[in-house]
Amino acid sequence: MFVPALTMAGVCASYGDRVVLSGIDISLEPGRICGLVGPNGVGKSTFLKAILGLGVGTTGKVLVCGRDFRDLTRNELAKLVSYLPQNFDHRLRLTVHEMVLMGRHPYRKGWAPDSGEDLKISGECMKEIGVWHLRNRLFVELSGGEKRLVMLAAAIAQEPELLLLDEPGSSLDFKHLLEMWKLLERLSGRGIAILVSTHEITVAGRYMDLVLALAGGRVLASGPPTGVFTPETLSEVFGVRLKVWREEETGSWLVVPGDGNG
Amino acid sequence: MDERGAGKPGGLFRVVFIFCLVAASVLSLVTGAVHDPPSWVIMDMRLPRLVLGLLTGAALAVSGCVLQAILRNDLATPYTLGISAGAGVTAGAVIVSGLMVPALGMVLLGTAGALLSVAVVYSLAVGSGRGDLGSSLVLAGVTMNLVGASFLLLLEYFSGASRMMEIVRWMMGDLAVVGWSKPLFLALPVVLGLIVVAARTGVMNQLSVGDDIAYSRGVSVRSEKNVLLASAALLAGSTVGTVGPVGFVGLMVPHIMRTFVGSDYRKLVPASAVGGMLLVILADTLSRVLVSPGELPVGIVMSVAGGTFFMMLLLGGRR
Repeated sequence: MFVPALTMAGVCASYGDRVVLSGIDISLEPGRICGLVGPNGVGKSTFLKAILGLGVGTTGKVLVCGRDFRDLTRNELAKLVSYLPQNFDHRLRLTVHEMVLMGRHPYRKGWAPDSGEDLKISGECMKEIGVWHLRNRLFVELSGGEKRLVMLAAAIAQEPELLLLDEPGSSLDFKHLLEMWKLLERLSGRGIAILVSTHEITVAGRYMDLVLALAGGRVLASGPPTGVFTPETLSEVFGVRLKVWREEETGSWLVVPGDGNG
Repeated sequence: MDERGAGKPGGLFRVVFIFCLVAASVLSLVTGAVHDPPSWVIMDMRLPRLVLGLLTGAALAVSGCVLQAILRNDLATPYTLGISAGAGVTAGAVIVSGLMVPALGMVLLGTAGALLSVAVVYSLAVGSGRGDLGSSLVLAGVTMNLVGASFLLLLEYFSGASRMMEIVRWMMGDLAVVGWSKPLFLALPVVLGLIVVAARTGVMNQLSVGDDIAYSRGVSVRSEKNVLLASAALLAGSTVGTVGPVGFVGLMVPHIMRTFVGSDYRKLVPASAVGGMLLVILADTLSRVLVSPGELPVGIVMSVAGGTFFMMLLLGGRR
């Protein structure tokens, strides 16, 4: 039996008095990919931040690898969970290798130089993510897609059990988007649990083991993709009539808006 | 392979750099109005002046590094937070009041004024309740600088010509000292500030990527920022209180050092400390050579050098 990488039960997330999400229940096992879908502003980012307690008030039960996240120090939590937000500074004049090495922060003192182990792990992560050839380039000079991959490599260098990704595929073209998700699939194969907010149901739906559909401040539907990616459920989630069907050859879900606001 | 900013300064770079600093220090000791000075000129004037310059350079440059990391802006300086305004108004008020304050008292009051203005800027930024502390700090700092400058003008308007000259001279910055009281006074806060900052260079790296990522990697963002801000204020505040607002060091030195060692603060902070010392010592020596046997305030030399530097930077077509 696996200890779930993430268990949430009856969780509410709020900014001050404003409750954004309530009644969240989820259990995510190691090596599984869970997609977080829902309309803009529904609280997908807040959901991810609630797990870290990042500026969000969290009530209810949150267990990371079986341990209450309130019992963990910030550093202990950082060794279990890494998080890639949508926004990070794009203009850093650091090399790719330096950016990836920074993922090792929880494992060293604030001023310590990079250890041999840091160099070894960061090198492996860059090869795994496919940015090894960029290692001496300046981060600021990379393309948007390359920057995301580098940030992902840094997140992996943190050696997490649970990876939280906030729309990692936004603004990527088909090729890079597909590569990103294949990469996530490979990482999950190493036993990392991945919770990822996304709008890319068509490209990414087939890589998800589990889907959580958020609407109106709560989990409207959850379960395997076949149960959630239905016209009725998705139409209700996004508040617009959607036609959904499965393309047999690839197993992808195709989602197309219908007419009107049904 | 493109190795720019790869962060490998290498042994040679360090040796050359340290050698430059030692050479500049020796040059500073042998330069002056008197060509064959008695030993007391060296021991009680030039040596304390050298130490004061070293402390000033390291403090202002490292303080600039800290502000640039926290505000995620390569153009941030200690003066962005209104440090010079606070020190200037306090010094101006003391001068206008006509009180006979001993030199060290003036230093203490200037430092207190600088720290007070940072405290006001910080409270304003936090009190504004805006989510983004960085931009609130810059806004509050700009406000403080403007208010401080107009208050200083007001003081000058109501004071006699000689006192007005005194205020103006104070605002130019001056490293001239007799005896060891000033450098010894400054050494304590500067060494303390440098140690606190040096222990947090890895944290500064994380903060420069973004608050959320830093937080997720185990950095206590709020408290680390406060400690770093306080250290930067202490470094720059005590320095400005002691020698007056010497400009451009906090901006120019980290900027130059980035091209040598990259943006990893674990390397940039020590490099900037040494670079700041070197720059201030050279500027001070120059200020004593240019109009020998007289001397120029180091602040003027630094401003002219800084202005020229940034003009070259702008026209050099850098990205």
